Amino acid sequence: MARERWGSKMGVIMAVAGSAIGLGNFLRFPVQVAQNGGGAFMIPYLVALLLLGLPLMWIEWTIGRFGGGFGHSTAPGMFHTLWNKNRFIRYFGVIGIFGPFVIYIYYIYVESWLLGYSWFAVTGAYNNCTTQESMKAFLAGYQGAADNPHFSGLGTAYLFFLVTFGANLLILYLGVQRGIEAACKYGLPLLFVLGAVLMVRVFTLGTPNPEAPDNNIINGLGFLWNPNWSVLGSVGHWTVAGASVPYWAPNAKVWLAAAGQIFFTLSVGFGVILTYASYLTPKDDVALSGLTAAAANEVAEVIIGGSLVIPAAFAFFGAATAQIAAGGAFNLGFVTMPLVFQQMTGGNLFGLAWFLLLFIAGITSSISLAQPAIAFLEDEFDLTKREAILIFGFNTFILCHVVIFFLDKGVLDEIDFWGVNVCLTVFGLVETILFGWVFGMEKSWTELHIGSDITIPGVYRWVIKYVTPAFLAVMLIFWMAQQGKSVILMEGVPPENRGYVLGTRLLLLAILVNLTVLVWMAWRRRQRKEAQP
Amino acid sequence: MTIGGWIFLIASWLLMLGLAVFCLVRTLRAKDDGPAS
Repeated sequence: MARERWGSKMGVIMAVAGSAIGLGNFLRFPVQVAQNGGGAFMIPYLVALLLLGLPLMWIEWTIGRFGGGFGHSTAPGMFHTLWNKNRFIRYFGVIGIFGPFVIYIYYIYVESWLLGYSWFAVTGAYNNCTTQESMKAFLAGYQGAADNPHFSGLGTAYLFFLVTFGANLLILYLGVQRGIEAACKYGLPLLFVLGAVLMVRVFTLGTPNPEAPDNNIINGLGFLWNPNWSVLGSVGHWTVAGASVPYWAPNAKVWLAAAGQIFFTLSVGFGVILTYASYLTPKDDVALSGLTAAAANEVAEVIIGGSLVIPAAFAFFGAATAQIAAGGAFNLGFVTMPLVFQQMTGGNLFGLAWFLLLFIAGITSSISLAQPAIAFLEDEFDLTKREAILIFGFNTFILCHVVIFFLDKGVLDEIDFWGVNVCLTVFGLVETILFGWVFGMEKSWTELHIGSDITIPGVYRWVIKYVTPAFLAVMLIFWMAQQGKSVILMEGVPPENRGYVLGTRLLLLAILVNLTVLVWMAWRRRQRKEAQP
Repeated sequence: MTIGGWIFLIASWLLMLGLAVFCLVRTLRAKDDGPAS
């Protein structure tokens, strides 16, 4: 069976950028900035981009293209080609299928809410909700968490879930070129146009309420961007031989928040870039393409994401924005923003633009989360695309119901912790060590520059080999120290939800074991094929 | 909004836009947008 390929260079860049640009660009980033020092947050953010984000981007593009040359689209096969003397390394690659698979299970449900809210914006379904409380009640009713005059049961949410689920499978069924590439080639420009329209609207808000002159758009931008240097670290004093020596200690929480944001926003550590890059030919550029995809993501995040929710919320709600932001990113997106748009002329249209923007960001990401599992079935078991999608669709459809029916029981947060926090960091660390140490920096550097349209500064040989893995190891240790114990022991989980959380954990373990067995079966199958005369 | 806020806002925008424009120009100049394979 001929291997699928991208149709154009710009197509693959847009597909990777589409994968990277997700809900986090527009909802998570501004909250992180506002809560971690405003403009000063950009210092650790840029450091993480240069030392963590870009190196991982190049590593994944290079491993993906290299593995694709051996007919592999996913991490188990790719890791095996990088270290073929180690028969266990392919099992580390299971994380590169497991992570995106489990994230897909909840991400697609959240994505379907955006389609639902796009429809509500057109029909004005939430127009009579004029306070934070009533808008929260509308969202809770939609999610089936509460029976209220807006919704009785999950019917509406389920309908939009079915449409979103079907749309994802259709794009995936159309294939790499006619499905994923086409969706991103049309979707991303539309996303940037919608973002620009919303930015113009937000920047021309002025002072919406003349009775509260401090609540204006300039102060809203200031709320987000005014630097607070004190949060980056603190000055202390050591006493050395009776003399006081000043030192500066970084605030680990803020620096880790920046590193985490870079990690999530660039879609590195998921395994999806490996799969996308495997559809390149061995002579296609990866250095400039990886950088271009990262740059497109940064424009969407820093320029568009940093100009919408927080400044707009401040212009209408003033100092209460800090409290609103502390309520979480979903709160900002589904509760605060509809309230903001309601107070504008043509608010329904701007509401539609907002939710459509997020839906496009979501669907171009979710298709990338699905592709590794589908590609694994196609490559390693010689299944047709139709068969692979049927198996993937059936399994994820069943599993999504766990999230749909037990959303308010802590199931989503549990999957998010293991799928995102743990898997991404571990996977990033493994692939960085494989690339820089096992495959070898000389060979890796040469591979990275094959067909390259730019020359990456030589300092990155050192960064990739030493700094990036050290950065990742520190992140993993700090996260496990800060959150690991409390999550594993379910300390923040209400007693009545502990059974559900434990059940989710067992379900995730079952998925991991199943995938590991599939990798084992795939290699037995491969060995048998190779042994045949 | 303080001067510091304006500096961070403008510097961040210029940096990201500059990187994006550099990449786009280099991508378009390197090869025409023909088939990747």
